[in-house]
Amino acid sequence: MKNYDYSKPEYYENRELSWLKFNQRVLYEAENKETPLFEKLKFLSITASNLDEFIMVRVASLRDMENAGYDKKDIAGLTVTKQRELVNKAVHEFVERQYRVLNEGIIPKLEENGLKIIRFGKDENVLSASDRGYLDRYFENEVYPVLTPMAVDSSRPFPLIRNMSLNIGALVKKKEGSDGIEFATVQVPSVLQRVVELPPGEDGVRRVVFLEDIIASNIDRLFLNYDITAYSYFRITRSADFSFDEDEADDLLKEIEKQVRLRAWGEAMRLEVDAGIDKALLTKIKEELGLIEREIFKIDGPLDLRVLMKLYSLKGFDNLKETKYSRPQEYPYIPEGCDIFEKIAENDRLLVHPFQTFSPVIEFVSQAALDPDVLAIKQTLYRVSGNSPIIAALAQAAENGKQVTVLVELKARFDEENNILWAKRLEQAGCHVIYGLVGLKTHCKITLVVRKEEDGIRRYVHLGTGNYNDSTAKLYTDVGLLTADEGIGEDATAVFNMLSGYSEPRNWNKLSLAPLWLKDRFLFLINREKEHALNGEKAHIIAKMNSVCDADVIKAVYEAAAAGVKIELIVRGICAIKTGVPGTGNNIKVRSIVGNFLEHARIFYFENAGSPEYYCASADWMPRNLERRVEILFPVVDARLRQKLRFILDTQLRDNVKAFDLLETGEYVRLMDHPDHGRNHLASDAIDTEERVDSQLVFCEKAKKAVEEAYGSSNDRVFIPRESQSN
Amino acid sequence: MAYSTFAAIDIGSFEISMKIYEVSQKKGMRQVDYIAHSIDLGTDSYTKGKIEQERLDELFGILREFRKIMKTYRVEEYKAYGTSAIRETVNRNILLSQIEQITGIKVEVLSNSEQRFLDYKSVAFQGAKFEKFIEKGTAIYDVGGGSVQISLFNKDNLISTQNMRLGVLRMQERMNKMGASMRQYDALIRELAQSQLSVYKKLYLKDKEIDNLIIVDDYISNIVAKERIDGPSDNVFGKETVERYLKMAREYGKEHIASKLSISESDIPPLYISLILLDEVMSTTGATTVWAPGVTLCDGIAYEYAESNNFLSSGHKFENDIISCAMQVSKRYMGSRKRSETLENIACRIFDATKEVHGLTPRDRLLLRLCAMLHDCGKYISMQNLAECSYGIIMSTEIIGISHKERMIIANAVKYNQLPFEYYEELSSHESIERNDHMRIAKLTAMLRLANGLDRSHKMKFKNVEVEIKNGNLNITVSTDEDIALEKGLFGNRADFFEEVFNLKPVIRQKRSF
Repeated sequence: MKNYDYSKPEYYENRELSWLKFNQRVLYEAENKETPLFEKLKFLSITASNLDEFIMVRVASLRDMENAGYDKKDIAGLTVTKQRELVNKAVHEFVERQYRVLNEGIIPKLEENGLKIIRFGKDENVLSASDRGYLDRYFENEVYPVLTPMAVDSSRPFPLIRNMSLNIGALVKKKEGSDGIEFATVQVPSVLQRVVELPPGEDGVRRVVFLEDIIASNIDRLFLNYDITAYSYFRITRSADFSFDEDEADDLLKEIEKQVRLRAWGEAMRLEVDAGIDKALLTKIKEELGLIEREIFKIDGPLDLRVLMKLYSLKGFDNLKETKYSRPQEYPYIPEGCDIFEKIAENDRLLVHPFQTFSPVIEFVSQAALDPDVLAIKQTLYRVSGNSPIIAALAQAAENGKQVTVLVELKARFDEENNILWAKRLEQAGCHVIYGLVGLKTHCKITLVVRKEEDGIRRYVHLGTGNYNDSTAKLYTDVGLLTADEGIGEDATAVFNMLSGYSEPRNWNKLSLAPLWLKDRFLFLINREKEHALNGEKAHIIAKMNSVCDADVIKAVYEAAAAGVKIELIVRGICAIKTGVPGTGNNIKVRSIVGNFLEHARIFYFENAGSPEYYCASADWMPRNLERRVEILFPVVDARLRQKLRFILDTQLRDNVKAFDLLETGEYVRLMDHPDHGRNHLASDAIDTEERVDSQLVFCEKAKKAVEEAYGSSNDRVFIPRESQSN
Repeated sequence: MAYSTFAAIDIGSFEISMKIYEVSQKKGMRQVDYIAHSIDLGTDSYTKGKIEQERLDELFGILREFRKIMKTYRVEEYKAYGTSAIRETVNRNILLSQIEQITGIKVEVLSNSEQRFLDYKSVAFQGAKFEKFIEKGTAIYDVGGGSVQISLFNKDNLISTQNMRLGVLRMQERMNKMGASMRQYDALIRELAQSQLSVYKKLYLKDKEIDNLIIVDDYISNIVAKERIDGPSDNVFGKETVERYLKMAREYGKEHIASKLSISESDIPPLYISLILLDEVMSTTGATTVWAPGVTLCDGIAYEYAESNNFLSSGHKFENDIISCAMQVSKRYMGSRKRSETLENIACRIFDATKEVHGLTPRDRLLLRLCAMLHDCGKYISMQNLAECSYGIIMSTEIIGISHKERMIIANAVKYNQLPFEYYEELSSHESIERNDHMRIAKLTAMLRLANGLDRSHKMKFKNVEVEIKNGNLNITVSTDEDIALEKGLFGNRADFFEEVFNLKPVIRQKRSF
């Protein structure tokens, strides 16, 4: 066996480029002929919002690195400058593809299906006099009062344009006098709905206009003493990757509040303008914001495609939306109204969201809040939903005199404002609130309930791969374990002691923690498979997660594969691992599932020479997870639950509808679309079957079946009166 | 099931910790929570004799938190002990009352030997593994900040225990004072350690074979327990492990070691010192296997609580350890085993017969036995000044398991066995003593004197002694055919003190077999 040096950059993919490929896979769903029309709007909108975040965080961080003269190469051997160049090119191509999809693939189809988007300057002549009257009244009554037009001249500086806001910029000239051309701008108010629906026309076609068009058509009225020589929509994306010195910040809460306010004014990273913008106008905006050519995106269509989500939410059009995925089903082992602690004490329980409902988790906290035997509830909260029932239950528990400790991660990006509100509310209720740890983000999802029972303290623990957020639990695939296992209970207590600032305990039973030794643990598990392979034993790793980009882990994976370990990875997003790397044979297969629900669970399987081990985690194989966050890896030992996990992994490996396979070329392909692609390189072994396997659909069915099996088919729930036997 | 919830708090020199336990007869002890917080009380206390206010405020804060946690668990009883950092403050009593006032937690202070005994108890309560381990020659090596304690076992009995000022933090302090770099630690610490260990070896270890070492410490136990990548560690290791760690400490930077061993960088110098010292102790004793059970003082505190409340008992007889230690001391000073046995026997009979009048505890009975064993150890130095010398020896000999106060009681009782008794006002003028402890000394002295009087000739004439209270007399019936004129003659003045203390007149009767 030839020895390769698997730390060479050529064996790694750059994380930004890999992320862009992920967004392309999402975009693919908007192109996919099998996707219902309105779902295409949703996918396209998601790609836009993903890209916004990417620009604000990743591109901004590349630029910061470049400005700081950072000259270290990334794992793929690229300098920062080179990365920026490649990323920029890819982003431009991506945006072009987005609008091609919209203009060619979606808008005509919407019209065919009875929804017309009327754009001013294009097709406003279809509007009838009464439509125009309607829009004028709308402008007069609703819009005009909230507009703040601003002109720039020698005495008034260029205004601050809010991050991600949509604006109309104009070149104006005073009607009287000989003053030169000036710049003026008005923000399209975010307090109003951007999509305005007109009263239905006679032909029954539903028509919408965009708020910015309504404003633009009245622009003369905004700058009364001026002539408008040119105008264009424009939108700025700013750097949002704020950093601050936690040691310096006396009060983290205050510091974050301040930073959130500042974020609106971060450095501009991207400018989006209409394709046909006036040259002088563009130059003016560009110069004021200090942007260069490649940071400018000339857009053929509406700016900010997040607006498509608003179209998606229009009432009606149900036939154009996805319906085959069922709503979250009841988890039959924890039926409503049961004593949840009794059920957990009986057996470990594994919840598979969103196929199964999140309510047992809410129930877990709310029963604990009311139970007189419960002494303490401790929980980490990363992103919570608006009006979270969990927050309400925790507050109630504290009011009931329980010791409630909540770690609210204030540093959860883009959720800071939200989290500050919850944190304050919990504190008022008497909870002990910890605002995260200095230098680390607390990303683990763990809840501990301490209960004083007849024969002593008993601990109940929930460990999850997803946030305690009942809204996203309907959209993200995650798994959660409810257990009364003593070892896990002890570890959970230790986790919260550490989060409260106490020392690390000497012994851990079952949990592995980042940033302490989780990475070493993963490396150990991977290397153990390698040893097994070298000893001629069965060796197999299946790992499902969101991202893989930790160089040490990847190197270990390559080495294991080279030793003969079969490695199957199901990675939704960034994947710096390549397939077909020399010496690894066909042993590494990578696939990515982009489906109706956002794949989010982290599940790990290690064959371990015939005595397999199963784990779930809050962490991906990313340096930030393994080194800069508090994360938990937990084992699943109950045989039935392991079967469930195996079923999830196997089904996803068999998925031939929503899965993409990573080719040696670095491309991701959908099997269905490439029936004769070099099959050797595809991840799935079950490709030849004629059966269509959409794993998320399979899980929906499975969840429904579990309910039926528990209660019998629905007919069994009807009471059948006993008839007289004498007949 | 009946169980009680107990909290043990250890206010150490560099860490405050609390463990919460559930204790029941059926299930024994179960640790429910362990909370530890680093705080350096030692440096202030050792160097200035007082703890700075800022540090105290931190201490109060932590203890208040502990109190809250106790409340959450509905803890019924707790015990909080301070060790050397509190012990060495000059304003100890003020400090303790302040702590109680501010935090509501009553803290007591442990002497070195009490503390070591609790550590030892927590090891002994590990049960089968402990009993198995001590089948071979074993030493418990208990490492503290200021000193280390080595206790030797012979079969299953503790036979000696010695304290050496080789504590990890003391060593570190010395290194700092010398301005030594980590590179120089190895040579310097080995030299310092060897000078004390070689004396120890000559005097105490002699040719005893030691195979096993049980280590109680904060640094090595910690990293050994953390070698858990492949499942939990059994905490047993050999010389090669010590060498592997030493090699790592020598060859890598602090950052690397800290991340490899999951410890903080500031723990690396004391860890390195601990490793060097352990290596030296292993070489000196010849031990090849080390067990780091990872117990802490809190465990010892809890075991003691569980034991005294009859929730559980270890198979191990701790009283025997104390007695065998005392016996070793007596042997060292050429005490006659037979004679002390006779004396012990008579003294115990007197104790048992007068239960109703003396009001003492079983613990006092143990002290009486120790008095009997050690009553003449001073004659090794001077037969003339027997009392003073015995007192001196007892006061400066550590017997694991008895507190400083108890040691003082024994030493005084032994002294007054020979010398005129000093009444409270007199004694308390030169020794710090509480009134009821002085009373205990008086009672033990009275019994010891009486017993001693019955064996005046040191010929062990009395085969059988029966003691009973009758009509305000303490009747002592001795079965012997020998002439006991000497005993009877000298009995009077010894009996007077007994009568003074117990208001019982001892009467001696001889029962002859012919």
